[in-house]
Amino acid sequence: MTTGQISDPFPVGEDAGDDDGSDVLRRRAERALQAVAFDTIGTGYAEAFPAKDGQLACGRRLLALLEPGAAVLDVGCGNGEPTVRQLVGAGMRVTGVDLSDVMLTLARQAPHPGPYPPVLHRMDMYDLATERARSAWNVPRLGPAGRGTFDAVTAFFSLILLPQDEIPVVLGRLRELLRPGGLLALGMVEADLDHVPLPFLGRELRISGYLREDLERVLLAAGFAVEEQEGRPYAPASTSLPPEEQLFLCCRRTG
Amino acid sequence: MRDQLNPEAGEPPALPAPRRPSSPPEHVPERLAYLDSATRRINSALDLAATLRNAGRVLVPALADAAVVHLRDPLPNVEREPGFPEQLRIHHSQGTRLGRRGRPAGDDRRDRYGARYGSRYGARSSADPGPATPVTRGGALAHTLLSRRPAEPVVLGAAGDSGSARTTELLRELYGARGLARLSPGTSVLALPLRGRKTVLGLLVLIRRPPAKSGRPGFDATDTATAAHLATQAGLAVDTALRYAREWEIANELQRSMLPLRLPQPHGVRLAQRYLPGERGAQVGGDWYDAVPLPGNRVALIVGDVMGHSLTSAAIMGQLRTSAQTLAALDLPPHEVLYHLDEQAQRLGREQHLATCVYAVYDPIANRVVLANAGHVPPVLVQPDGTAELLDLEAGAPIGVGGVDFSSVELPAPPGSALLLFTDGLVETRSRPLSDGLELLRARLAGAHRHAPEHLCQEALRILPPGDRGDDIALLAACFDGIPAGDVAHWYLQPRNETPGRARRLAAHTLRRWGLEALTEATELMVSELVTNAVQHATRPVTLSLVRTTRLRCEVGDDSPLLPRPRRTGPEDERGRGLQIVARCAERWGATRLGTGKVVWFEQRLP
Repeated sequence: MTTGQISDPFPVGEDAGDDDGSDVLRRRAERALQAVAFDTIGTGYAEAFPAKDGQLACGRRLLALLEPGAAVLDVGCGNGEPTVRQLVGAGMRVTGVDLSDVMLTLARQAPHPGPYPPVLHRMDMYDLATERARSAWNVPRLGPAGRGTFDAVTAFFSLILLPQDEIPVVLGRLRELLRPGGLLALGMVEADLDHVPLPFLGRELRISGYLREDLERVLLAAGFAVEEQEGRPYAPASTSLPPEEQLFLCCRRTG
Repeated sequence: MRDQLNPEAGEPPALPAPRRPSSPPEHVPERLAYLDSATRRINSALDLAATLRNAGRVLVPALADAAVVHLRDPLPNVEREPGFPEQLRIHHSQGTRLGRRGRPAGDDRRDRYGARYGSRYGARSSADPGPATPVTRGGALAHTLLSRRPAEPVVLGAAGDSGSARTTELLRELYGARGLARLSPGTSVLALPLRGRKTVLGLLVLIRRPPAKSGRPGFDATDTATAAHLATQAGLAVDTALRYAREWEIANELQRSMLPLRLPQPHGVRLAQRYLPGERGAQVGGDWYDAVPLPGNRVALIVGDVMGHSLTSAAIMGQLRTSAQTLAALDLPPHEVLYHLDEQAQRLGREQHLATCVYAVYDPIANRVVLANAGHVPPVLVQPDGTAELLDLEAGAPIGVGGVDFSSVELPAPPGSALLLFTDGLVETRSRPLSDGLELLRARLAGAHRHAPEHLCQEALRILPPGDRGDDIALLAACFDGIPAGDVAHWYLQPRNETPGRARRLAAHTLRRWGLEALTEATELMVSELVTNAVQHATRPVTLSLVRTTRLRCEVGDDSPLLPRPRRTGPEDERGRGLQIVARCAERWGATRLGTGKVVWFEQRLP
C-alpha cells in the first residue's frame, strides 16, 4: 500500500502563506499521516459509518438548489459514498478530492452511474485554490485558475481533520472556487476540539470541531451565510467510537 | 469423583458357610474372609444411600434374612454433638416390609423429605422412608441406642429374660404392635446401635426367620460378634458419608455465596442467569457468571469456569470473579481484561489454577458486542431473524497458563438479537460429546430470540439429558434491545474556562429536543458542577454525554484518574461543593475509574 505522499515534491518556499518552512513541513507531515491512517482504515470506514441518512438529506437539499450539469466539488470524497454517487446520479459534474490513495482507489472502483462520470484527484484540501494545486498535485484547474468555477462545494466530515486555525483558511479557499452565490454543504461533528488526537478505528486521528454557534460564526467570518442547519445524533457501528452529534449546514457564498 | 470407590463393590461377598449351627474353629478363615470383604464393601461408597445399600447387601442374606436401618431424623451434623436422638426414620430395609406402615392421609412429609435429603445427601434408599419414630426417653429404644454394651440376640416368643423383654419392647416402639405381630414366634432379632465418631447415628435391626422356615438357627455368639463388627463399620461409614455430604454442602454454599444474587439491570439489555450445582457426591464446580455495568450504558458479560471440582475451585472462582469485576470496571477491552486476569491467576496460590472464560461487552448504542475467549466453550448469538450461531471465537488459552495473547472480536448485535454464555456442563455430559451438545444447544436456541432472557435459559437447560449430571452449570442470557441514537448525545469539549457554560447550553438544548424541559434546571446545575470539576484536572478533552431511557443519565468524563470525593466544605470553600449538589439533586450518582481516566455520572427519574 503506497500513499504517494513520500514521493511528493516538497518545494518548501513555494507555499503562498506566511508560515515559515518548518511549520509548513510539520503541517504536511501531519496531513500525510492522516492520509496513511485513512489508507489503513480503508473499508473499515464504511463499516463503522454504514448509514448516512443525514449526509444524504443534506445532499438532497443541495441538489434541490442546483441545475442539472452543475459543477460540484466534493472535498474529502473518501470512497465516494454516498455523496459522489448521489451527486453524479443526479446529473452533476462532480470533482472529488481526497488525500488517501486507498480511499480514492475504492472510489474509482465503485460504479457511479450518471451522465457525467466523476473526476477524482488526489490532493490536500489545504492546497485548493493555491498555486500548489498545480505544482504539487498537478491539478491546475483546482488552483487559482479554478476560481469561481464551481456552483457548489460539499465537504462532509473532512474539515474536521484540519487544525482549528486552518479551517477558516480552507473555507476561504473553498469560497474562492465557488462562483458568487455558490453553495456550500458542510458536515461537521459538534465538539469543542482543536486538532486533538482521538482514537479512531484502531488508529489515532487528530480531530477538530466547533459547537454549532461557534461554527456559524466561523462560516460567517469566512464569507458564508448559513441558510439551513440540522443536528443529528449518530451512533457509529463500532464500540471504539462514541456516539456523536453531527451537524449539517447549507451555506451560500456571500459577496 | 464417583461415589463408588471400589470396583468390586457390585459383587456380594461369598457366603462363609452360614447354615451351620455354629462356627467350628475350622471355619474361622472363611468367617474372617467374609468380614474382610464385607468391611471393604460397606466402606466402598461416600454417598449415604450407596453405603446403606452396600451394608444391606453384605448382611442379607449372608448374616440375616432381613435388615432395617433406622437413622436419626433429622440427619445430624456430625461435626457437632447433636444430643439425644429425638426420633428415627427408616433409611433402608432389605428383605422385609417391616415398619413401612401406610402413611396417614395428607402427610406430605415424604415429599419434603425426598426434596430435602434426596438431593442434599444423594440418598436414594431402597426403602420407602416411613414416618419418623419418636424415641421415648428411658424407653427400650433409647436404652439400646445409648447402650455401650454389646447387644444380645433375642428369639421372639421364647421364655425371655430381661434382655428379651427389652428387645420386644424396642420392636414395639419401632414398628408398633401390629408390626411386631407380623413377626412369627421363633424369629431371631438383633438390634445394634450405629455409632458414628462422636454420637449414635441410628439403629440396625437384623432378623432371622424361625429355623423351621429358614432352615438356620437363631443368631449365635459368633454371628452376634460378626454383626457387631459390621454395625461398627456401617456406623463409621454412615458418619463418613454424612461428613462428605456436609463438606459438599459447605463447598456448595461457598460457591453460591460467591455468585451474584441479582444481576444489574442496565438499559438496552435484559439479563437472566442460572447456576446449577453438580449433583453427584462432593462435586463443587468453579463456574461463575457476572454482569458489570460500564460507562456509556455498556455492560460487560462474563461466564467462567475454574477447572477442577473442589473447595479450592470455588475459592479460586471467587477471587477470579472479583478480579474480573475490577478489571471490567476499568473499561479495558475484553482481550486486555483476559490478559490481566491471566496474570492475576498466576499469582493465586502455589499451584497452577486454570480457568476458562468468555468476556463480552455489549454496547447498546453502537449495537455491537465485543468478545474475547480464554479457552471457553463458544457462546451462542441469536440473530433478530431467529438464526442461531456458535460464535467462532479464537479459543485462546485458559486463564492461568500465562504469556498467551488474547484477541477481541467485534460483531453486530442489532436490537432483537440475543447472546447466551454458558459453561461446558450444559453441553458436555457423560453420555454426550461436546460437539453434539453444542449443536443441540444451537438448534434449540434458534427461534427462541423473541422471548425473555429467562426463556432462553429455560430453553438452553432443556437440552440436558435426564438423570444425573456430573458438572455444574452457569448460564447468562442477554437479550439486546439497544438504545436509539436519537436518545443519546455525546460531545468532546476541550477543557477551558468557558467549558462549564458551554456544557450547560448543550445539555439544555438536548433536553429541549427530548421534551424534558422540567429537568433542565437541575441538569444544567449538575452538569456545570461536574464539568467544572473535570476541567480543573483534565489535560485532554472532557466528555459530556446524555442518555434518555427510563432515566435521564448524564456522564462527564475526563482523563484524570483522581476520583472525586464529597468533602465537608466550609462556607469559604469553593471546591468540593459540586458533588454535594449532585448527591442532593440526582436520584443516583457515582464515579468510575477507567483505564484512561474517570467518569462521574448521575441519573434522574423522568418526569
